[in-house]
Amino acid sequence: MRRLSESRLFNFIINNSTGILFVVILAFFALTAQNFFSLDNALSIIKNASFIGVLAVGMTFVLLTAGIDLSVGSNMYLSAVVAGLLMRQFDIPVWMGLLTALSIGGLYGLFNGFCVVVLRIVPFMVTLATLVMGRGIGTFLTQSEQVDLPERVNEFGQLRLLGIPMPVIVFLIVLLIAIYILRYTPLGRQMYAVGNDPDAAKKAGVNTDRVIWSVYVISGIAAGLVGFVLASQVMRVDRSFGESYELDAIAAAVIGGTSLFGGVGSALGAVFGAILLQMVEAGLVFRSVNLYLQPMVKALVIFIAVFFDGIRTANIAQQRRRYIRNDLDDTDAPVSSASLPEPKPVSES
Amino acid sequence: MSAIQTEHEPQTLNLKRIKATDLATSGSLSDRLVRWGKKLLLSDYFILIVSIIAYVIAAQFFDRLARPLNMTNQLSNMWPLFAVAIGQTFVLIIAGIDLAQGATIALASVVGAMIMAENLNPDMFDKLPFWGSILTENGGLLAGSPIATPVAVIGMLVSGLLVGLIVGTLITRFNITPFIASLVGFIFFSYFALWLTQSRNISGLPESFVNLGDSGELISVYFGPKLDPEIRRRDILAVVTASTVITLGLAFFAGYLLNRTIFGKHMIAIGTNPRAAEISGVPTRRVITLVYMFSGLCAAVGAILYTARLEIGQPTLGGLNLLLDIIGSCVIGGSSLFGGKGSIKGTFFGVVFFVLLGNILDAAQMSPFVIDAVKGLFILIAALLDYTRTRLVRVEQST
Amino acid sequence: MTILFETRSLTKSFFGITAVNNISLEVEEGKILGLIGQNGAGKSTLMNLIGGVHQPDSGQMLLADKAYTPRNPADAKQAGIAFIHQELNLFTNLTIAENIFIDGFPTRRIGPIRFIDRGQLKRETASILEWVGLDVPADTVIETMSPGERQLAEIAKALYFDARIIIFDEPTTSLTARETERLFEIMRQLRDTGKAVIYISHILKDIAAISDSIAVMRDGVLMAQESAESFTIDRMINLMVGRKLEQLYPPKTAQSEPDTLLQVKNVSAKGLVKDIDLSLRGGEILGLFGLMGSGRTELARIIFGLDQFDAGEIYVEGKRRTANSIRNSIKNRIAFVTENRREEGLLMNVSIADNTTLVSLPQFANDLTLYVNQQALSDAAQQASQILQLKSGDITTQAAKALSGGNQQKVVIAKWLLNEPMIFIMDEPTRGVDVGAKYEIYTIIDQLAAIGSGVLFISSEIEELIGMCDRILVMSQGEVVGEFTRSEFDEERILRAAFREGEEKPHAAVK
Repeated sequence: MRRLSESRLFNFIINNSTGILFVVILAFFALTAQNFFSLDNALSIIKNASFIGVLAVGMTFVLLTAGIDLSVGSNMYLSAVVAGLLMRQFDIPVWMGLLTALSIGGLYGLFNGFCVVVLRIVPFMVTLATLVMGRGIGTFLTQSEQVDLPERVNEFGQLRLLGIPMPVIVFLIVLLIAIYILRYTPLGRQMYAVGNDPDAAKKAGVNTDRVIWSVYVISGIAAGLVGFVLASQVMRVDRSFGESYELDAIAAAVIGGTSLFGGVGSALGAVFGAILLQMVEAGLVFRSVNLYLQPMVKALVIFIAVFFDGIRTANIAQQRRRYIRNDLDDTDAPVSSASLPEPKPVSES
Repeated sequence: MSAIQTEHEPQTLNLKRIKATDLATSGSLSDRLVRWGKKLLLSDYFILIVSIIAYVIAAQFFDRLARPLNMTNQLSNMWPLFAVAIGQTFVLIIAGIDLAQGATIALASVVGAMIMAENLNPDMFDKLPFWGSILTENGGLLAGSPIATPVAVIGMLVSGLLVGLIVGTLITRFNITPFIASLVGFIFFSYFALWLTQSRNISGLPESFVNLGDSGELISVYFGPKLDPEIRRRDILAVVTASTVITLGLAFFAGYLLNRTIFGKHMIAIGTNPRAAEISGVPTRRVITLVYMFSGLCAAVGAILYTARLEIGQPTLGGLNLLLDIIGSCVIGGSSLFGGKGSIKGTFFGVVFFVLLGNILDAAQMSPFVIDAVKGLFILIAALLDYTRTRLVRVEQST
Repeated sequence: MTILFETRSLTKSFFGITAVNNISLEVEEGKILGLIGQNGAGKSTLMNLIGGVHQPDSGQMLLADKAYTPRNPADAKQAGIAFIHQELNLFTNLTIAENIFIDGFPTRRIGPIRFIDRGQLKRETASILEWVGLDVPADTVIETMSPGERQLAEIAKALYFDARIIIFDEPTTSLTARETERLFEIMRQLRDTGKAVIYISHILKDIAAISDSIAVMRDGVLMAQESAESFTIDRMINLMVGRKLEQLYPPKTAQSEPDTLLQVKNVSAKGLVKDIDLSLRGGEILGLFGLMGSGRTELARIIFGLDQFDAGEIYVEGKRRTANSIRNSIKNRIAFVTENRREEGLLMNVSIADNTTLVSLPQFANDLTLYVNQQALSDAAQQASQILQLKSGDITTQAAKALSGGNQQKVVIAKWLLNEPMIFIMDEPTRGVDVGAKYEIYTIIDQLAAIGSGVLFISSEIEELIGMCDRILVMSQGEVVGEFTRSEFDEERILRAAFREGEEKPHAAVK
């Protein structure tokens, strides 16, 4: 194992494991499923990945602060239900429907944030509770009946820009905003800081409450957005709308390299993870694999991605330990530092 | 701070004495109420007391609640949930989480039914993967055989142990976090159960198996007046059933493991500080794997009780929604998601709380959806209470 | 001389215990004030009052003759008081620049959107880094930096805003000698530019070397504040412990025995240690000196079976170790007191008794039923804690975290003691332990050797190794580079060997 871990090839594979997994799966389906490798199919995969993708981007914010948001699926449902009911009952325009969904999503997130920040309840419990509550409220509002959306929503749903379907455009916009927030705003950098060490962040003068509150609101708004966009595609909101989407969103974020312990992750990774998951699903459909077996294969893909990520983390930790030593050698022992290659070879005897 | 306390032991003691005399003399009613409330809040039995008080009060408004039949029904609702929650408690103590329990319940239910079902309609089942080999028109693998029920029970328990073994191995050997490992297990085995039966329920379970549930009455009571020489069957109420005995047996076994054995002490060590535990020679990997296997076993016991009660093997049994009840019961019962904390007694009280709450809401004729919403709310309140209690305890300890 | 900051009759108590008692301290502009005291003497509480973490019960603080009442750390920062904490408060996943500016990034507009101004961020950071002498790019991620570099980054972070008072709370624990020297240079520079510096340390020699005046605290009371010249090390200790310590080290009672308990032959682990040879006899205290990163902890972990090695052999009581595992070591009665109590030593929320019996637990359990004899267990724990003179409440209910550092360390030692160890590996056993408790731990080590155990004593304090050991091995860059017997003990020569600056050839490896 040790010798293996030293080889370049091993390092290359480990450091690019998710990318390699992506290519391998792509190659496999391209070779074995007819018409899989086509522009149309690629676009359709990205379109279908956009729903989980946007949720996963929102989830990444929460995971960065070492929180979790299990309620996004129910949030999608509730937001879509309220927007749908308003559009049907009061004939409000589509853009106001969208705004409604975003607001409900944001409020939902605000409530999660309130419980986490003010009431100091563990995020897992908070969002598990609001997962059940949200769907309960939604079903109560609809009396458990399906909400059919007015026809004009369909026009919105089928919009295209330069031939690109609306969900993909939304996906792209969300990605850009997320990258902007995470990389180019103080708030974004503070999210990484809070996830790394909340106590140190507080000591450093970061308003940690505000940071944590904001990630739940962002995740909530993302869920509201997905709720509306998905509803505009399927044109109805039934009781199981958005159910277990939270699991796929978490899986996508984690495949994309986000840690559940906070401080590590990126929006681009989440997008990548969502597309990978969707590609697997599409490929299995192309190969007409049994419907029940498809999720099982997906579970295996999640396992493989996470497994390699684990090896990579362990590997980095091991190399870092060496780095520290060699570095000290350099500063403390000028006599021999010149003769010290890195990493130091040891006699093979 | 801590250093100061220990080095000034006499002062601390002194302080306590002063406090005690304070308490004895200061006697205003509100003070005493506050003190009494604090004591109640910190008591192990707090949740149980709250549940019972709420139930008694609610029974004044909804007389359905007070009916003996309802009460025995609630008892029988409690056992399977308690069985599953015992396993989750163990997992929470080692700072893990087991989402896979929901899938284990479904899988065990299906596996059991596939072994012992007594007849299967070919029109419905001939598309199943094992039709013609394990499953035939005559039923499951051992349909009609006298050993069908025991083998099926063993099969169910083994499938629970296997799921636990796999999840535990993912965690200990592949270094995957418990959440993701058990999520992978959940997705995989949920759909595996669905695939095995192609989403169909399998009925026709043998009588001997069904008797493991609530119909296996051991002590029954009859409340009404004795007018007729014959008492109608449905008036006889089962108080102690096979499921009572099975679950209590499991609970005592779990309590023994946790409180009296080296295994329990190792669990708490791992849940408190896994690195220190490992350096101290605790076989951490083995203990963690065994705990997930035990969790799977408990889920399988739950599956046996649920399946016997429903009299069908159901691939959608359990699922993620049950998770709220399971983890909710544990957390309300004092388990912490951060590990090192939890007890079987507490979990039992948590289960009582959940079942009675559901019953009250149900009696108030709320729709199931509202019940969900309120249940969620109560979990938040319970978690909040727990936070307040820990803070109170901390303050008490430091004075 | 100008007094920049002073406290007047400052008092603070927690739950009836007075942590800071009527303290009037003066901090002068352009001077370095050394602050010493045992753990629990109230130094941290005093600093927390100055830093705005806690608020005083009575008394007042004056900053430049104006009342100073910080309500939180941000207030203190605003007032120009900078803290450099013992434990690092860096975000390892961010760059140095981001760490410095985490609570106030420079931004600029591009069109309607505001971005973090990375150019400015880099420029400003680079100038601070140059000043503290940290020669790495501003966008280096902390994760990739050595402990010493991190400490300098922490200092840079504290100094980037214009502080008037800079408080250093034991900053040297993770620094190499060279980096420590650089730190002192920075402190002198700060002093020379007219800042006030407060320096807290347990290393009295350093305090004497760098301070202009020295303040000593004991039991929440300020015992003395005078110019540095009026203190000798002896007087400092005297004031700190309230009695004269006749000796820093207990008299040696143990005799080395002829039989070898542990023999390490040519052990190498790639990137960690190389060609290690050492032997440990019964009754012997073998010192292992090395700077941070010299491979001493790595070696200890390998001997204990926590990490694996690639080549070489380890013999325990003459028998070759085949499986290098923790459980094997415990079976062979090897004990390992790790350098990090909190993370690797104790179960903080668990009772002292359960901590004490964790290693020897299988002895109290029935193999078949796994039943643990609770009475035997708490008796054993009780006995161990009496032998070690543990100061605690009821050991079956009090949690380990409620103990002082020295008593926590005793629990860790007791935990191994119950397994009747033959070989005791102690990695920095006196770190974070105050002077009084140090002596007790030295006594325990001596007694362990006296009953025939071999002790491998790892430390970065040469003095304590010289005071305690029969032999000292010196490690550097993963190799044993020198061996000194008791008659050869000499601080300077040992240090020189550790730096590999020896004019003399390192001693031949021990067989």
